Amino acid sequence: MITLKLLLQVAFRNLFKSWVNLIIGGVIFFATFLVVTGGALLDSIDSSMSRSIIGSIAGHLQVYSDKSKEELALFGAMGGETDIAALDSFAPIKAALEKHPNVQTVVPMGTSGALITSGNTVDLTLARLRALYRKNTAEGETAERRGQIDSLKQHVRQLAELLQSELATRRELIREDQVDPADAAALERARSEAFWADFDKDPLGSLEFLENQLAPQVADGDLLYIRYVGTDLASFQKTFDRMQIVDGEAVPPGKRGMLLSKFFYEEFLKLKSARRMDLIKEARDMNKKTIALDPLLQRYVKETSTQTREIVFQLDPIKTKQATARLQDILKSQETDLSRLLSSFLTVNDENFDLRYKQFYEQLVPLLDLYRIKLGDKLTITAFSRTGYVQSVSVPIYGTYQFSGLEKSPLAGAVNLMDLVSFRELYGYLTEEAKAEIAQLKQKSGAAEVKREDAEEALFGEESSPTLVAEATPGLINDDEQVSANTAALRSEDMLKRVYSQKELEDGMVLSAAIILKDPEELNATLAELARTQELKDLKLRVVSWQQAVGIIGQFVLMMKMVLWGVIVILFVVVLAIINNAVMMATLQRVREVGTMRAIGAQRSFILSMILLETVVLGLAFGGLGAGAGSALISWLGNVGIPAGTEELYFFFSGPRLLPTLGANNLITAFALVVGVSLFSTLYPAFLATRVSPVTAMQTDE
Amino acid sequence: MSLSAEPIVSINEVTKDYHLGKVVVPALRGVTLQVHPGEFISIAGPSGSGKTTLLNLIGCVDTATSGVVRVAGKDTKQLSERKLTDLRLHTIGFIFQSFNLVSVLSVFQNVEFPLLLQKKLNASQRRERVMALLEQVGLANHAKHRPNELSGGQRQRVAVARALVTQPQIVLADEPTANLDSVTGQQIIDLMKAMNRERGTTFIFSTHDAKVMTHANAVVRLADGKVLDRVTPAEAGVALAAGGH
Ligand SMILES: Nc1ncnc2c1ncn2[C@@H]1O[C@H](COP(=O)(O)OP(=O)(O)OP(=O)(O)O)[C@@H](O)[C@H]1O
Ligand SMILES: [Mg+2]
Repeated sequence: MITLKLLLQVAFRNLFKSWVNLIIGGVIFFATFLVVTGGALLDSIDSSMSRSIIGSIAGHLQVYSDKSKEELALFGAMGGETDIAALDSFAPIKAALEKHPNVQTVVPMGTSGALITSGNTVDLTLARLRALYRKNTAEGETAERRGQIDSLKQHVRQLAELLQSELATRRELIREDQVDPADAAALERARSEAFWADFDKDPLGSLEFLENQLAPQVADGDLLYIRYVGTDLASFQKTFDRMQIVDGEAVPPGKRGMLLSKFFYEEFLKLKSARRMDLIKEARDMNKKTIALDPLLQRYVKETSTQTREIVFQLDPIKTKQATARLQDILKSQETDLSRLLSSFLTVNDENFDLRYKQFYEQLVPLLDLYRIKLGDKLTITAFSRTGYVQSVSVPIYGTYQFSGLEKSPLAGAVNLMDLVSFRELYGYLTEEAKAEIAQLKQKSGAAEVKREDAEEALFGEESSPTLVAEATPGLINDDEQVSANTAALRSEDMLKRVYSQKELEDGMVLSAAIILKDPEELNATLAELARTQELKDLKLRVVSWQQAVGIIGQFVLMMKMVLWGVIVILFVVVLAIINNAVMMATLQRVREVGTMRAIGAQRSFILSMILLETVVLGLAFGGLGAGAGSALISWLGNVGIPAGTEELYFFFSGPRLLPTLGANNLITAFALVVGVSLFSTLYPAFLATRVSPVTAMQTDE
Repeated sequence: MSLSAEPIVSINEVTKDYHLGKVVVPALRGVTLQVHPGEFISIAGPSGSGKTTLLNLIGCVDTATSGVVRVAGKDTKQLSERKLTDLRLHTIGFIFQSFNLVSVLSVFQNVEFPLLLQKKLNASQRRERVMALLEQVGLANHAKHRPNELSGGQRQRVAVARALVTQPQIVLADEPTANLDSVTGQQIIDLMKAMNRERGTTFIFSTHDAKVMTHANAVVRLADGKVLDRVTPAEAGVALAAGGH
């Protein structure tokens, strides 16, 4: 005890004797600082990201079929969706899982993706025209309807003109023979007086001509990939309380319908000019960026001012006039070309942006369809079903939703929600009962049509015939089929009105189920217990934690941790080398002192402890400073928050800001590491010091 | 003072060879010497004659090539490294030519150091012992100073205090005055002499300096690794003077 006091005294005094110690101290300081802050940051990201994942779709645990060829990846994998085997019925799974005392809720799920077309302007206009003509035929013409028809026809004519002028520009750029002559001829016809004069003689025939020949030339409709999670929407909303409806309303319980992610809706379905204006506004207001300095904003401005086509195309002649007048007024311009007006109106800068943004929304947007799919519209989703059919299902869009905190995350925003019935239909899965039902129908209707089984045979037999595929409609939707009342109820129109009972929802196929636990701390224990449960084994279920369930993203933090630890290890190897060298030098300089102590009567063990303790004191002192600085930084950041610079970070930060916290384990790790490494690197020099002979004290020559 | 029959240091036919690569350097070639408690002995001889080597053997910091070295009745060859260290701690005090104070410790702490290693006294006893000694060497009011704030003479006085603080039987001093001017050197020798008188501590010191030798009871003269003779300081002074001519 006494000696310890002396040793400490010597150690402390030696601490500031040599500049080498300051260097070692500096390195130790930096290393501890890094371990503390890096560790705390990653731990905080880990926990906030886990909140994001657990709170959005994964839940604490997921179960899925053990027959699956690949692993569950709720947020998608590199090559799209992974191959997950279907589970016949959700009900027994739910029942089995709910027996575990720590299971709070089980939510059915199925993740899939499909292509949707967001419709091009000509198609949409023509569809409206067709509807009006049909009404005319059915109910007789009214003056109002005539007006609407004329306006729409004008719009189409205008589109043809726009197309022509585009074609002219295109001709200047590329060689003429690359423009398809058939297209050119069709366009010529669509612009001719004669065509429009004769239009009403055969309106439907004329429309068909336009649909087939003109519409394909207007390529403003995007083919979009949409990811959706089919789930029991009511249960989902109750369970994942971060979910909130932004616009529209929740899908009524038991009804078919979709909730689009607000992010997806804004990013992909909003008028692009409007979306870009929003982004510029947000960058300016929230992130204090300026158009003058930010290249991304400059690009937005450039795109918005040059790509005016999507606006011009939408406007029929009346609205074109209105828009032109409004812009002329705003810009105090005599220009009559709407494109040019728009272009100069949308060439915004930091001075006029706020005003232009306001004018854009007040003067232009009311003339336009702001979103390509409106809430309340039906979205037609085309998917490849499991059995290889092309399956098309129309689902009404009830509203948009977001996960609070993850509003801006593209990752969380990529998830759209769909009712289970529509999901199953798109998935093309037939339960045993459904198959039996088909067999029954087949008997009843005398097998007049090609049925699913035959189709499947043909499809998976030698050669697949496209006609068979087209006729074979899994999921029992076939408008032409004259079948029993019970099946008729399942027709697509009726299906939308139908309210499905909870039993129907739960008795069907799912791909996975999310489990919310009562005590999340017990996650690993519960996971292990569930995996051992015989009942789940019988159901052929695989139980995984949320980390495993989300695919590659779950590994992200692990990867970051590995990188951090890689850096730390390298750093500590450097620290080790530096300390080793420095202590070696210091020991050599102190040979006389050590020799004197030995001569006076200090044992070797005393010398060893002295040298080791010195480094430990050094480590503790500078490590303490480093840990202190790190803790200070983290607690400061914990108050201020680290802003999520890019949208991708929202997900990892579980919101717009990461508020890191410092765990005791971070500090302990840092201290243990620093002390351990400094001790280890001093062992050899300290050992050498114990070998210094007391004779050295006597030697006078230096 | 009365010399008891039992010598405190007894050296018998001791040789010490150093090895410089393949060359053997004989530093001592058969030295026999007895030192009795309370003696104040000077070891004299020209440079390279083996003074330091002899003191190292007596001080148990080195061992002889052959022959027997007994210190305080113990054959040093038979002792382990630990036991030798303990022997040094409890029986021997050292005064070095270049003072060898621990630079990061204060004067007080330097003197206290051997007591701390001994772990025999408590804090207040140590304080008393250290302060009494510092008083004696005239440095009581420098207790808090660091060695580098002191003059050479003051430092050597601290070293004397450190050598005596454990109340050792023997104090060894290898040319304690060589790094000091003659007046300061004289003061150190006076101090050592006083301690020898008051406490009966045995002092063995080496020196080149004829004036310094005059304070010794006896001068052991070495030449070429052998004891020439053991004489009185007066004789030594004559012999030295004669040798010088
Ligand atoms: N560590 C050593 N290795 C090799 N030879 C040594 C060593 N120490 C001393 N010697 C040799 O042993 C002999 C005696 O040396 P020692 O230091 O004992 O003489 P000294 O009388 O103390 O001389 P000085 O008056 O110069 O201090 C000398 O020849 C010296 O060169
Ligand atoms: Mg010498």
